Amino acid sequence: MAGICCGVVREGETSASMEPSSRTLKRRKVELLTYKFIADVAVPPAVECSRKRQKLELYASTAASSTRECCKNGVQSSEAKSKDESEGSHACEALRSSRPVNLRENSASTELVENKILRLENPRFGVTSVCGRRRDMEDAVSVHPCFSQEEGSVSKGCHFFGVFDGHGCSHVAMKCRDRLHEIVKEELESDRLAPAQWKEKMERSFTRMDEEVQESNGSDRIISNCRCELQTPRCDAVGSTAVVAVLTPEKIVVSNCGDSRAVLCRNGVAIPLSSDHKPDRPDELVRIEAAGGRVIYWDGARVLGMLAMSRAIGDNYLKPYVIPEPEVTVTDRTDDDECLILASDGLWDVVSNDTACGVARMCLRAQNPPSPPRSPGSSGEVRNDAAFESSDKACSDASILLTKLALARHSTDNVSVVVVDLRRERQQQ
Amino acid sequence: MANGDQHRSKCCFLEWMKLQERDLSELLQALTLTPQNDAELTKLAQKGVEHFESYISQRSTLSKNDVAAFFSPAWCTAWENSLLWIAGCRPSAYIRLIYALSGADVELRLADFLRGGAASGGDNLGGLSTGQVRAVDELQRRTIREEDRLTTRVAGLQEDVADEPITAIVKGVEQIGELSGEIERALDEHEKAMAVALEDADKLRLNTVKEIFGILTPVQGVDFLAMSKKLHLCVHEWGKKRDQRHGRENC
Repeated sequence: MAGICCGVVREGETSASMEPSSRTLKRRKVELLTYKFIADVAVPPAVECSRKRQKLELYASTAASSTRECCKNGVQSSEAKSKDESEGSHACEALRSSRPVNLRENSASTELVENKILRLENPRFGVTSVCGRRRDMEDAVSVHPCFSQEEGSVSKGCHFFGVFDGHGCSHVAMKCRDRLHEIVKEELESDRLAPAQWKEKMERSFTRMDEEVQESNGSDRIISNCRCELQTPRCDAVGSTAVVAVLTPEKIVVSNCGDSRAVLCRNGVAIPLSSDHKPDRPDELVRIEAAGGRVIYWDGARVLGMLAMSRAIGDNYLKPYVIPEPEVTVTDRTDDDECLILASDGLWDVVSNDTACGVARMCLRAQNPPSPPRSPGSSGEVRNDAAFESSDKACSDASILLTKLALARHSTDNVSVVVVDLRRERQQQ
Repeated sequence: MANGDQHRSKCCFLEWMKLQERDLSELLQALTLTPQNDAELTKLAQKGVEHFESYISQRSTLSKNDVAAFFSPAWCTAWENSLLWIAGCRPSAYIRLIYALSGADVELRLADFLRGGAASGGDNLGGLSTGQVRAVDELQRRTIREEDRLTTRVAGLQEDVADEPITAIVKGVEQIGELSGEIERALDEHEKAMAVALEDADKLRLNTVKEIFGILTPVQGVDFLAMSKKLHLCVHEWGKKRDQRHGRENC
């Protein structure tokens, strides 16, 4: 088994693979030194969950009814649960009013912990997911702000963002989109007294996700227009990448399996929070060969000459060489953090981390202060843009712009981009 | 008279190409004018759609007599015919053209944008706005679904040739190629179904173009229309040159 990279990623530190020799030992050391549990940090009581806009956003971008449904359910459950708590009424208010509540006026939502002001912000994000130059759409995106409201749970007030890039067919990616946030929620809420063992919890979530995918093969019909029609053995050769970011008030927990990627933009510097699982990555190559598999160069490095990534959810036919185990990074948030970009390889194949970071931060800056309505001359393009408020519009602009850049650079794949604004509230005013 | 049908169908196509040539110069001319007049541009795009509509209805009438000619037209070059999808272009190719057009000068603008030259955010890079990207993507997915549906239908019709009633007739035929009232009826029936498929494919092409004009701004629409015509005319001319190179006579 390859060691799991689980340390705090610092500025300038890439998540490049380590030497295979004595790798595990080194990693363990890193882990001991830098891994910080956050469960002992008090979780602020009130949660801002205003996300009417995001709902619109998802509606327009993913065009997937189940995602909409999930998002709606998320809203409903957070509302229902917060009714019991007096502090929770703030959240309900924020939900009902379409304008965001000023966090500075809301003293209940701030708390002094370790000389740091922690607050739970509205997540501001933008999602774009397009078919692009492919005829099949195999990408799926899932965004769940405040996805868990369980009192005392480490996940309370956390936000979930996931990008899944399917291969063979779309059903594994869809299943991940529909289920993974619920599994992660269950895992994080299951054991509320234990410290936030992000690495184990995320690993267990991915394993469960993979098991669910296996179970559903041949049994329940997830989607009717599924190309492989869930027939074995064809659906055994279906899988998906998964890059998931759980955003807490003070941490960014990224779990990755496959060749989608999460990149943090901090003070203009692009910091990858995940490392692509390619079969020719030295440590992955060693792991595959140790398991008895081979990496064959056939239109690039491929496991058994077939799959061009070394980890994935699904892909039963390539087990145990291709594993669903994620690599987890836990990163402390800082005031220099600007945004987080999650995207499928449709973006990363043609746009570098640095360029993506540069484009995203320019969009966020351009929106500060909000710009007047666009292009006065063109009457024909009003459409639904007007529905997005300015802070989200900046993220939405960034995700669209990155997508357009990928298309302009002849990306031949589906392109999915999620941009999450990480700037603290006070910096934006 | 088969020859008459062939002649009429060929004329229909050649007139369409000539009309496209005239329309193209008008469209290109309109794009050079400053300031742009949206009403004028919209009218031009509308005219383009109407011309396409009348070409489609003409060939729909013609195909009732001789549909096979449209699936492999003698008036087109070999290269053009190798690109045909149900006797025309793939409607999903229109979306690729939009992506190509909107991404044309993106690198130039990107450098500018990253230097902070563009103040107003997302729309300064690339021609499509946020809403447009989403609408185009949605249209693309729908168009590909429709395209695949029609492809499957035509595949079924092609398979039908190897099935009843044609195979039963083949079994009873004493001399290869001999015709009978029975076989004529069977083939006519089959051609009728092919003509319906052609009509539906043309409808999809037309509707896709109409929807595109609903998404694009007038100037983008005219640009798209001009480019699609230029591309079609080029493909036709390049095809002729390649035909010559391979020793095929021009049509």
